[in-house]
Amino acid sequence: MAVPRSRVVDLMKVQCGIFGSIFNPTGERLGNKVLRQRLRGPALAAYYPRRVATFKDLQKLYPGFETYNDFEEDRLEHILIAKSRGKGAPKKKKTAAESKKFNTKKRK
Amino acid sequence: MAQFRGKKLDLGCFVNIMNIRDHTKRKVFEQHEPERQALRYIIRNTSLPQRTRAQAQLELSQMHCYTRPTQIRNRCVMGAKGRGVFRDFRMARFQFRLNALAGNIPGVKKASW
Repeated sequence: MAVPRSRVVDLMKVQCGIFGSIFNPTGERLGNKVLRQRLRGPALAAYYPRRVATFKDLQKLYPGFETYNDFEEDRLEHILIAKSRGKGAPKKKKTAAESKKFNTKKRK
Repeated sequence: MAQFRGKKLDLGCFVNIMNIRDHTKRKVFEQHEPERQALRYIIRNTSLPQRTRAQAQLELSQMHCYTRPTQIRNRCVMGAKGRGVFRDFRMARFQFRLNALAGNIPGVKKASW
């Protein structure tokens, strides 16, 4: 039993009204596939982990509060040990004359 | 393009200029995505006048390159490497190996048979 084309088109029209899609029986390119796409910006922008509160932030928030930063203490201890063995970083030069850069013997 | 970069760094991972740049591109793309999609719709809609579509085409092609999704590349979160990055772990292959062996990645175990 063949159904006339006009009946099918009517059905499509009603269908589109119900499901909120675009009525386009001639199959023209209306670019609706672009509108149907989801936005991928939020997913892409969430790729890198965001900054969270660090130990320094905590100390800045509560200046008087006594805190213990394990890594920082370890670092300071390591520096102390290196200095006691005479392996520490050199002292900061105060003047230009002290600086070794200008004190080296010039080659002739 | 420093004009897009945030005034304060909001990254919590390994930071270098490549990572910052990619992060900036992602945020700029997120901002401009609706505009781009609207222009793309106009371009693809054959029922609109040809002149409008050509204008939209021009406008889309003249948007800043940072608003383009193809500029975005998945980089390693631990070392900003651009190649050999696992999408699931967001890490390059060597960082993945180190972290997996150290037990930092849940559910990953070295296979042996």
